[in-house]
Amino acid sequence: MLTGEPSPLLALQGVSKSFPGVRALREVAFELRAGEVHALLGENGAGKSTLIKIVSGVHRPDAGQLLIDGQPAAFASPLDAQAAGIATIYQELLLFPELSVAENIFMGHPPRARLGAIDWQKMRAGAEAILASLEIHDLDVSSLVGGLSVGQRQRVEIAKALSQNARILIMDEPTAALAEADVVRLFGIVRMLRGRGVGIVYISHRMEEVFELSDRVTVLRDGAYVGTRVTAATSRDELITMMVGRTIDQLFPKSVAKLGNPILELRELRRQPLTRGISLTLRAGEIVGLAGLVGSGRSELAQVIFGITPAESGEILIAGEAARVGSPGAAKRLGIAYVPEDRGSQGLIRPMSLCHNVSMAVLGRLRQGPFVDQGAEADLAERSIRQFNIRASSRDQVVEQLSGGNQQKIVLGKWLATAPRILIMDEPTRGIDVGAKAEIHRLMSELAAKGLAILMISSELPEIMGMSDRILVMREGRLVAEFARDAASQEAIAAAMMSDDAAAAEAGAAVPA
Amino acid sequence: MATLDAAAKKQGKGWQPALLRHEVLLAVILVIALIFLAAQTDKFLTTGNLLNQGRLMAEVGLVALPMTLIIVTGGIDLSVGSILGLCAIVLGYSWKNLGVPLPLAMVMALGVGTLAGFANGWFITRVRVPPLIMTLATLAFYRGLAEGISQARSVRGYPDWFFQLGQGDVWGVPTQLWILAVAVVITAVILARTPFGRGLYAIGHNEVGARFSGIPVDRYKLIIYTFSGAMAGLAGVIFVSRVSTTRSDMGTGLELDVIAAVVLGGTSIFGGTGTMLGTVLGFIMIQLLKNGLALTGVKGDATIVVIGIVLILSILLTNFIQRRRSGNE
Repeated sequence: MLTGEPSPLLALQGVSKSFPGVRALREVAFELRAGEVHALLGENGAGKSTLIKIVSGVHRPDAGQLLIDGQPAAFASPLDAQAAGIATIYQELLLFPELSVAENIFMGHPPRARLGAIDWQKMRAGAEAILASLEIHDLDVSSLVGGLSVGQRQRVEIAKALSQNARILIMDEPTAALAEADVVRLFGIVRMLRGRGVGIVYISHRMEEVFELSDRVTVLRDGAYVGTRVTAATSRDELITMMVGRTIDQLFPKSVAKLGNPILELRELRRQPLTRGISLTLRAGEIVGLAGLVGSGRSELAQVIFGITPAESGEILIAGEAARVGSPGAAKRLGIAYVPEDRGSQGLIRPMSLCHNVSMAVLGRLRQGPFVDQGAEADLAERSIRQFNIRASSRDQVVEQLSGGNQQKIVLGKWLATAPRILIMDEPTRGIDVGAKAEIHRLMSELAAKGLAILMISSELPEIMGMSDRILVMREGRLVAEFARDAASQEAIAAAMMSDDAAAAEAGAAVPA
Repeated sequence: MATLDAAAKKQGKGWQPALLRHEVLLAVILVIALIFLAAQTDKFLTTGNLLNQGRLMAEVGLVALPMTLIIVTGGIDLSVGSILGLCAIVLGYSWKNLGVPLPLAMVMALGVGTLAGFANGWFITRVRVPPLIMTLATLAFYRGLAEGISQARSVRGYPDWFFQLGQGDVWGVPTQLWILAVAVVITAVILARTPFGRGLYAIGHNEVGARFSGIPVDRYKLIIYTFSGAMAGLAGVIFVSRVSTTRSDMGTGLELDVIAAVVLGGTSIFGGTGTMLGTVLGFIMIQLLKNGLALTGVKGDATIVVIGIVLILSILLTNFIQRRRSGNE
């Protein structure tokens, strides 16, 4: 695949970009050849997003050059980049749910009939042709995008990019929200496109994917270019070292904790549709991992416990006493904290400052008479920045300017400020770089050692196995298996998740009645 | 301005200086308008005229305060003009036709306003009717009630002491201006400095995020819509006292002046940003424009056109500033 072509499809030379208070990129080089998958690695905040935004015409570089086919190019807008054959598939898919697959694929450039009317027949035929060329045969071009699964929507996005004759395809964490089967199909499509000579920039945090899919890897760190490697000639350890600038000995530093009294007990907790009689006990100092497929009802359970969607029946006991959790405010007063799955919409108020976000859950306590005690608030923010090693230009920086890892630390800081007894963490390290991930894991261990009870929802089995004292598996709104830390294996947990009770039992799971 | 701008950018500070900039801008425009209008006619910049304008401004001002809180959360209350009318009728009708003592009738008017606002808030938070739809419905409903009760009869002949509120002075300043000033200070402090105010901004930026933070979103919303009704009721009582009569069409179109003032003051209709200072500058600006233009001989219709243009310009300017900032991010 690596034929030494004279001029690469895309080249960046000495590209720099600064934002208020941050140097996002410093003299970064990058090169993409036709027919290659080039992985872009780096911790969150390393400058990957800025780089792809420059390539796709969202930002203009302060210095340096962008070459397409060896020719200097300057994009005034994303439209210019599109015209140059560059398509970007972002993490949040930008489709119109109310429109059909065909309309989405040809959004902005529909085939025209006479008088400028849209030629619907041609559009449908065109959409079908593109999908067929990707060997996608299970998508009806006239169905509405809103009814499609995430994986299907992503395939529509890819078809949309191809309808614009994209030669350069940028994919930003395309597998972050995908189920396993969709990932396999995505890889097939990516390989097919590579075979056709499309250059693909592939951003992912999942090391296995990088090794499975990419031809070369470029690593960025703190906005600077670290190096490019041929994937086949490098190793996971080398890449991690390049990314973090140090070696990480241990990703999951969970120490065996002394378990205290039961802090949270659930008895036959129910709420339609996805909480169907959940009973569990969480002890002080314990980390319980909650595994399950997407849609198995884990986040729904968390939101029942936290009072967002209060239980319809069943009991919640906090430290042995029956409690009514009717609202998040009530949960907070009872010492329950919830670090939600979706940082952007649930965890943070992104247009507000770091300081105001950290204090958001404790404003009632940070008071001086009827007013917010701004001194205490500033102290809290500064303490959080130090304690969690948050990288921000100041406590007044708006959180949406920060990287995912730093945002997650702010959510964590915000909830730890409430001094909770029970901490529910929903996908605590999703979309976070290796360094921040290790920091969050270390923090979880420390908190458990201090007696906090943690319920951790995660879709990453290594994380579940590494961090949990005990592992519960949820399926279709019920707890279907429980494993002690030592008795758990990836295979057994996966089997329990996928509804193979016999296999799970064989692998040593205790199936609760 | 430009250097200030650049300095703020260099420090990487976000939205607070930006907000201040809008208000600084508005204050500058206001001063320019003052100078311009004063140069046009010597009747404009006199203590007597300005105090009188303050008197005329009070009703819009009083209602604009809770409207700011509501728009900060991303909501809207279109029914304020109708609530004002309804409260005016309740005051006049219960005093004249039911023989309720006037002080008690005033309290009843305030109570009805509060209840009307509470009904808005209850439907918006419990039944989850969008604020725009709910208050559009009550805009018609409350006005209809007012007309039904009054049967197109106006009420006159209030006792002299009652006019102290709308026509009298305290230490040389119109009574209602004192009330407005106190209300401005209280609501400004609530919005800027209390957990409640912070919660309103959070709701406006991201309601789900606010709920997940344990902020009692529904209770906060219920409070501000109820407050809006109460202030519309107060404005209604003052209105009746100022013009000495009660009619069922009082306050028609008030919501437009109020929303114009709030938006002119830099509060984003999408929620999350805005300050009380901006709103105060907004309603002062609208009142002075109306008065100044009238004094320089511009006809009523043209005045509305000018206010519309000023509103559009101010929004363009704000958008321009915001785009320049985000374009550089």
